[in-house]
Amino acid sequence: MNGANFVVQALKQHNISQVFGYPGGAIMPLYDALYDGGVDHLLCRHEQGAVMAAIGYARSTGNVGVCIATSGPGATNLITGLADAMMDSVPVVAITGQVASNLIGTDAFQEIDVLGLSLACTKHSFMVQSADQLGPIIEQAFELASSGRPGPVLIDIPKDIQLGDAVNFASICKAPITENVDQKTINKALAMISNAQKPLLYVGGGVGMAKAIAPLRKFINITKIPSVCTLKGIGAIEHDSDYFLGMVGMHGSKASNLAIQECDLLIAIGARFDDRVTGKLDEFAPHAKVIHLDIDAAEVDKLRTVELSMTEDLKQILPLLEVETSIHDWQQKALTMKIDFANRYDHPGEAIFAPALLRQLAQMQPRDTVICTDVGQHQMWVAQHMFVDRPENHISSSGLGTMGFGIPAAVGAKVARPDDMVIAVSGDGSFMMNVQELGTIKRKKLPVKILLIDNQRLGMVRQWQKLFFDGRYSETILTDNPDFVTLASAFDIPGETISTKSQIQGALKRLLESEGAYLLHVSISEEENVWPLVPPGAANDKMMESLQ
Amino acid sequence: MKSQLTIESQNSPELLERLLRVVRHRGFNMQTLQAETTNNEQNLHLSLTVCSEREISLLTKQLEKIFGVTKVSLLAQQAVIKASA
Repeated sequence: MNGANFVVQALKQHNISQVFGYPGGAIMPLYDALYDGGVDHLLCRHEQGAVMAAIGYARSTGNVGVCIATSGPGATNLITGLADAMMDSVPVVAITGQVASNLIGTDAFQEIDVLGLSLACTKHSFMVQSADQLGPIIEQAFELASSGRPGPVLIDIPKDIQLGDAVNFASICKAPITENVDQKTINKALAMISNAQKPLLYVGGGVGMAKAIAPLRKFINITKIPSVCTLKGIGAIEHDSDYFLGMVGMHGSKASNLAIQECDLLIAIGARFDDRVTGKLDEFAPHAKVIHLDIDAAEVDKLRTVELSMTEDLKQILPLLEVETSIHDWQQKALTMKIDFANRYDHPGEAIFAPALLRQLAQMQPRDTVICTDVGQHQMWVAQHMFVDRPENHISSSGLGTMGFGIPAAVGAKVARPDDMVIAVSGDGSFMMNVQELGTIKRKKLPVKILLIDNQRLGMVRQWQKLFFDGRYSETILTDNPDFVTLASAFDIPGETISTKSQIQGALKRLLESEGAYLLHVSISEEENVWPLVPPGAANDKMMESLQ
Repeated sequence: MKSQLTIESQNSPELLERLLRVVRHRGFNMQTLQAETTNNEQNLHLSLTVCSEREISLLTKQLEKIFGVTKVSLLAQQAVIKASA
């Protein structure tokens, strides 16, 4: 068995049945092994598409996503996706071909030091330097990608090692280490929770990554503490949970942001005080003591000094913190704010109001639909107006904010969950960034539904130019966009354009009921903005709610 | 604040590069650095002095996360006295 065949067998041993990639010179031996190796490979049309499809696969299932690329440009094209996976803690293993060992460092054809390039955007990177390293490195890569705080891991394999004889490797099955939670810390946390008058849960993506949804929901049912979530935390709490106030931060709900500013105990669960959440850090949750629960010790005291922290597995900690509370007044306050500041969908005129459209889609779509978004205004509208009850069903590039993420992520999600509806919600700017992945959808006849919200602008940047740069619309006007329906038709994807409210119901029905892929192109006014908005550098209670 | 650290790790070709990147990216300036391999080149021992206005734990916690690093110790800290104008 050569090294390349060994890699394919190792993938199977790690229960990997699906990989995403793009072939090229230095990875040809691995592609030869994949030809009849028993692992399904999906050819994407750009390496960036392959890594983002692997992310979509990982995020929609909780399993490790695998992508493959060749050396040089193939490897460099992975970088943005690796950075995305790093920022959002997504378990991805990327395998790159490298020029043969004797050519490394000679500026050989398609040679790049991808190990060096990847240092800032992977949890760890390996270069295989001898055949006997291959087995241990693959095992370590899968272990690292999915353990602790998950993240991307790169394995760079020179061509001669792929072609050379493999060395047998006996896999060592390590039992997971369970750490004991310190009882004194638990007692202190229980006392803090019991004594708080206005406790608030601030729930992030770590809960889903830790597969701690059930313990979190049980904790909420027992304590009845009001809650908010981050963009990546969407889906962790059921959307109709009594005291759940929605997303917090720059485009968070008014109720969430005001609750944060008023609470006296903030319990951060798998969240990391990102600047888009906190606004002006010094004025974030100014009256609150903080309990921080996160698997990554480096997140504790990074931005906000906390009174108490625990870095053990959330599945272990949360059941130990279940305590009944008597916070009736605070619960009522939360309910009042939730009602008083509920989203409104009344909108004058016949033009389509994107928040109302997305609300309607959320009401019409089947249960367990996966929504993948791109980045920009539409992404925030999805977060604000659609409702999701599983974190695996809301896949949005949160930390890195990667435009072009939505279509390939939807490809990955659809391959991972063929029986569930997968909808990519995109904007006209983002859509064009990985538009080549329509070719992947065509090739595999993937029934991915695409909702393209088009304001002929880079809408989020335009909004900021309007608000903070005196309306100087520098390079954000896209009135020369292609005809998107015609473009989709070139990939055998049927579609239609709508622009008035009366067309919405029928068009959404056709989108959802189409047998294969479908493009619903929605033309909206460029004047629509995302509200509320916490301006940069302001505290979260200084929200702008309109242009006035 | 000036901080003197020692780092014990398994040796690998890119480990030093990886550590230096983290030091820079997390906002610390390197003032001194001594690196030597030990245990028949299996391990790498580093002594370094870094300077920053940031809390040193922000760096040490990130260094501890690097795969292969086995121990990060803070030996001493010293306030840097800025000369007044």
